Parts: sequence; C-alpha cells; structure tokens
Amino acid sequence: MYRIRLHGRGGQGIKTAGRILGEALFLEKYEVQDAPRYGAERRGAPIFSYVRAGKKPINERGIILHPGLVVVADETLIEIPAAGVFQGIAENTVFFICSNESSDFWRKRLGIDSQIITLSQSEEYDTALDFHYNSSVCVGAAGRLLGVISKESLKQAIEEELSVFEKTVIEKNIEISLKAYDELSSYEGIVKRGVGISADSYRRLNWVEPPFEGADISAPAIYDSGTSELALTGLWRTLRPVVNKELCALCWHLCGSFCPDSAIYLDEDGAPQIDYEHCKGCLICVMQCPRRAISVEAEHKKTKEAKGA
Amino acid sequence: MSKEKIKKMRDIPFERLLASGTAMCAGCGALEALHQIYDILGKNTVFVNAAGCMTLLSVYPFTPFRGSWLYTSMASAPAAAQGIRDALDILIEKKRIKPKDNMQVVVLAGDGSSYGMGLSAASAAIERNLDFIYICYDNEGYGNTGQQYSDATPHAARTSTSKSLTGFQYYKKDIFAIWAAHKPAYAATIIGSDPLDLAKKVEKAKNMKGAKLILALSPCPTGWTFHSNETVKIGKLAVETGIWPLKEYADGKIVHTKIPRERKPVEEYLKIQGRFKHLFEPQRNDKLIAEIQNEVDKYWGHYNH
Repeated sequence: MYRIRLHGRGGQGIKTAGRILGEALFLEKYEVQDAPRYGAERRGAPIFSYVRAGKKPINERGIILHPGLVVVADETLIEIPAAGVFQGIAENTVFFICSNESSDFWRKRLGIDSQIITLSQSEEYDTALDFHYNSSVCVGAAGRLLGVISKESLKQAIEEELSVFEKTVIEKNIEISLKAYDELSSYEGIVKRGVGISADSYRRLNWVEPPFEGADISAPAIYDSGTSELALTGLWRTLRPVVNKELCALCWHLCGSFCPDSAIYLDEDGAPQIDYEHCKGCLICVMQCPRRAISVEAEHKKTKEAKGA
Repeated sequence: MSKEKIKKMRDIPFERLLASGTAMCAGCGALEALHQIYDILGKNTVFVNAAGCMTLLSVYPFTPFRGSWLYTSMASAPAAAQGIRDALDILIEKKRIKPKDNMQVVVLAGDGSSYGMGLSAASAAIERNLDFIYICYDNEGYGNTGQQYSDATPHAARTSTSKSLTGFQYYKKDIFAIWAAHKPAYAATIIGSDPLDLAKKVEKAKNMKGAKLILALSPCPTGWTFHSNETVKIGKLAVETGIWPLKEYADGKIVHTKIPRERKPVEEYLKIQGRFKHLFEPQRNDKLIAEIQNEVDKYWGHYNH
C-alpha cells in the first residue's frame, strides 16, 4: 500500500492536492483513501493531507504515521515542530520538497540519509501574494515519484477536482503539474509500497494516570499576563512587511493601530518596527501606510539571508 | 469640561496592551478592533468571553490579556458579567479591595452569541441596568466553525450553510435598534478601520455607568473570503457605502458620527469579497445587488441623510 503524507499551510491548497492525488490513483484502479487534517483551521497554520492507495481493500484508518512519501509544499514548515514533517519517517521514506535549494542542501541541513528530491517553487511565488501553485507542483511530482499514475489520469483528476474554478485556473494548474511530472522522469517509481500493518502488531498505548491535584493546581487558571507572546506566530508568515525608515513619516502609527496582532512597536526614534517573532504576515500595514513606506519581501529569501546560505 | 480626552489621532494611547501570539487568523478584523479597544479601557478590565472565535485568545497556558478573563457558554456571558460585577461590588463594600482597584466588566461576544443565543441574557442584563460594557465583534456568521450563517449574516451573502446562487435569503438583524429599544446608557457601532471614531466611543462608554454596547463590524478574511491585507480597505468601504453606519445612542437619541458625504455604490464593497462573488460571476445578478442597495438607501432615507 502507498502511504503519502502532504504538508502545507492553510490556504495553499494542500487538501485539494491530496484529493487530486487520490482521484488520480482511483482512476488508475486503486482503492483510495484521502483525508485532510486541519489542525488549527486557519490560514497559514500547518495542515496535512493523507492519501492511502492499494490494490486490496484498505482497512487502515486515521492519520498516516509511517509514510512512504512525504510531500512538503512549503519549506518554511520544516523548522516548525507542530508541522511534524519528520514524524514516523524511516530509511526508505522518500521526501519531496518544493524548494529552490538542492537536495544536497536539505540532506546536509537535516542530517538524514533519506532520498530527498526538490523542485523549485512555482514562479508565481514571488509575485502572487499567496502561492497556491506550489500544491500543483507537489501533485505532479508525487504522481511521477509513485510511478503508477499516467499523465492522462493526472490531468483528468485535476480537471475533476478543480471543476468549480474557471477554465484558465484549471489549465494553469495542469500546466504546472505536468511540468513537475516531466522534470522528475528520472525518479519515476522511486517510492516503494509500504507493507501492510497487521492488527497483531498493535501495541497497547502506555497510559499514564495523572495524579489528582487540588483545584489551585489542576484548574486551567493562568496567573501571569501576556503569556501568549511565547507563541511565535511569526512562523505563519510566507511574506514579510519591511519598514523603510527613510520613507516613514512618523504619522500617528496608523500601521500599529491597524495591525491586529500588536506586532508593530516603536523603536527609540519613535519609528514603527515590525515584531517578526509575532507578525503573521497579513500585510494590512503594507496596504495602509499613507507613504507606502512598508514593502513586501518573500519570507524564504529572508530566511536564507539570515542563515548565510 | 467633558471627561473625554480623545479628540484626534495623537490622543490615542499606543499601549499595545493586548499581547501578540494569539491564534486569530492573519488579518482578523475583530482582533484589530479589540486591541484598539483594550488600549482605551486599560488594564483594569475583566473580560467575560462567550464561546466564539475570541475564545481562542486564551488557550491554556497562554493569554494575551493583562488581567482576568472568564470563558462562558454562548448564551450566558451577560449573566456571568452580573456575577463578577456583584462580586467586585461586595469586595469593595467589605473593603477587601480598594475602590481604585475596581474593574470594568466587559463582555466579549461574537454575532452568533450577541444576535442570537445570548440575546435573552443580554436583554435581561440591560433591563437590570448592569454596569458593564458589551463588545460584540460581528463577523456576520459563525466564523470559528467555518462561517455558517448567523442572525447577523447580510442578505445574499454566501456562507457554508447558504451556498445557493442567491446566498442567504434573509436580512441582517438590527441588533443596534434592539439594544436602543432597551434604553441602555449607551450604544455605539464602531469599526477597526476608523481608530479615532472607535477610541472616542469606547472612552465615552468607559466613563458611563450602566449597560453599554460597542458593536464592531469585523471584516473576516477567512469567512468573507478576501486577502488578509484588505481588512481595513473593506472596513472603510463598509462605512463609505453606508452599509455600516457609524452611530451612537445616548439619552434617547441616535446620532450618526460619520455620515458619508456621497455614498459609494454598495457594489464597490460587495465585489471585492468572495462571499458575494456569485452576484457578479458568472452572470451579474442586478436584482440582488439592487435589493442590497435599496436596503441601504432606505436606511439613510429614514435618517434624512
């Protein structure tokens, strides 16, 4: 049975990518399961999509813990523990990462020997404010790596799953998917079928009984203030606002009033600065600055600069 | 001299009391209004939160607040506010806390609660003239669970439970009028995209005794389907088209605090939101657009503006 786990962020089309892949496998006469898991159910949060396909009826259920293929649509997820990109991977797990970096770069950085295949992100990435098309790259790539999906089935699956969209959108997705499919021809069929897991191998979970505590300890009361700052929501961001201090008119901080996340503060000159640990990248400030003193940069470029790569 | 100190943008405090790191969506219009409101109300505020999107502000062990927060069911936030108000009054009377440590009791509820399930509890609290502020962040649907329609959903909007080509068939409930009919101390509509109007009204409410409503239209990128960077743009259009009248009620009178000199056609507000896309594509639905425009015209005609 093939077990495929797709990782992306809410809004990037990962659920749809899973459905397309499932549909394509179905057209190739496989028994298929595909299901998304939303987690926090909001834009920018890590989301998952699971696809199982086999020639016999599938009795497994739930999330995929031991994938044969891991597909990552957004490389910035790799450093986020909650995204669980490496959960349950084995030596023979194949990774596909939508990234402009080489597979050697990722092997070295992650310190794993697994087969890692990369393809550069869709060129739409830098211009569009969202990058939906990365999921199309993933669909095409996964199709080729499995080696059991024909071009025709892939195309038909995209047409069916995206039928609610305009024709131009469907065509664009097909074009991007098939391009990825063609580029990975040398890796065709690299993903191996995983063995079936028998019920005998099920191990009972090791439950831990928590001790019974008094209400002052066990009740979910918070005694500190502003603790939410410990949550680094800056990791949601795919595009970042950058303040150009020379252009900033030091108006009464419209950007800071509009920023829903209190992520704009004043530096010693009284000029607004972005708190990148918490800025979610909504980009309201970019749109509202009267002097257009805030510009947009792609997050992956910034990450690279910071790491000196 | 009036107690109100905020006259212009520069009078608005830049405190950023509401901490970062919450789980609200990027570009959340409700959070945008709330953090502005909190800066005016100050630290001595107890929030009573009816179930809704904002429940996710405080997920143990994280809180963005500087003081207390209590979570209640959807229908009972005003009742819980009564309990807290009473407890505070008793503590002050028994000299167990100093009058200067008194706190403002603030209900924080979404439109699902405010327009529907929690309306009865709110009505009873106003009737008892409970000294509290009721903040309703109105994103016109049950946003936290996937934007099902609520009593606040506007006519013709697509929600996950009104998906037909004509969208939601009924009309948005006028909760402001319902509150005003109770003759509360104060009621006002605000929007996060107009920080000065918001600040003036919240300051006014803060300085009054009795039941006060702050009703904030909260553009919702996820539920209304628009890009997160357009929250303020859409908020401003809601005011400029006359769809969201900025007004206040006090002493038995309703006063508009911002009257659009020349109202823009509602179309400008509708066409940039995914939830109204079916009014323009694949075929333009002139009838429905006219129905929405008529409602707005009728409203402003009624006030002779």
